[in-house]
Amino acid sequence: MSHWLVIVGVALVTFGLRAAFIVFADPHRFPHLFRRALTFVPPAVLAAIVAPGLLAPAGAIDPGFANPRWIAGIVAIAFAIRLRTPLAAIVAGMAALWLLQWGLPRVA
Amino acid sequence: MLIGTIPFGFVAGVAAVGSGMTPLEGIALSVLSFSGIAQLVACQLVAVQSPVLLTIAAAAVVSLRFLMYSAALAPHLAHLDRKWRVLLSYLMTDQSFAMAVRRFSEPGDVRHRHWHFLGSALTLYLSWQLAVILGVLAGAQVPASWSLDFAVVLCFIALLVPAVRTRADLGAAIVAGAVALAAAGMPYRMSLVVASIAGIVAGMGIESARNVEYRPRRG
Repeated sequence: MSHWLVIVGVALVTFGLRAAFIVFADPHRFPHLFRRALTFVPPAVLAAIVAPGLLAPAGAIDPGFANPRWIAGIVAIAFAIRLRTPLAAIVAGMAALWLLQWGLPRVA
Repeated sequence: MLIGTIPFGFVAGVAAVGSGMTPLEGIALSVLSFSGIAQLVACQLVAVQSPVLLTIAAAAVVSLRFLMYSAALAPHLAHLDRKWRVLLSYLMTDQSFAMAVRRFSEPGDVRHRHWHFLGSALTLYLSWQLAVILGVLAGAQVPASWSLDFAVVLCFIALLVPAVRTRADLGAAIVAGAVALAAAGMPYRMSLVVASIAGIVAGMGIESARNVEYRPRRG
């Protein structure tokens, strides 16, 4: 039962936020400060998701070489900056991770 | 973007059944909310039996970026009737927003652009749902050593890099990332909320400071 409450609630908030200005309200009627804050939401929220995914994949901060994810992440970021296509970051990052976790231990 | 969407959807499907949801519940969550990160956060909190309202609030915080996308797209979609605007809102994602912004900023005929938006968004929607269903069905059979969950992080890197266009954006991202790491131990993924707010405040602060710096002096 509580699963269905979560499902309906998440559906309502995701739709409500997407539709907020497209369907319901004119963004120009909101204070300038609010609109300025909104422009920083994507870099802030995305970085808040990415940083722990790279540096603390198991919950605790692990910037060592036993954790290949931050290295693969740097490779992905470099490809995303150079090639400007989302595909490049995903393919390069995944390839780097597999290489680091499977390729290198066998060579060493 | 599809290449990233498919493993991401698959991971979201695996996470749904892993959290204790039934396959039907997992698919319903995906069909109704169509947001990978909101689905993943909800599944993580369902798995640890968090209170319902807290779970919904956490999904709302990670979805706040939709508010910005909605504000940015609204002027381009204002000429459409309500049904169109409801449909395109429902289908809007990070990826379709990124594609739409590129297309809407090109010169040319504006009358048919919403069809392009619909086309790309529907393609993403169908591939996403298919990938989630496959993930729900495969469940725990996927070996953890494939590290498919890393595709999720990579999707967000692919979105984050083009979202950083100014120094203030970069500051917002660095502060949010650092706070997310420092606060990683907070329960119920509260670190995400705290880090996002810190990043937004930092971005605004840097922007204001730079504006003051470059303001020409009077007299």
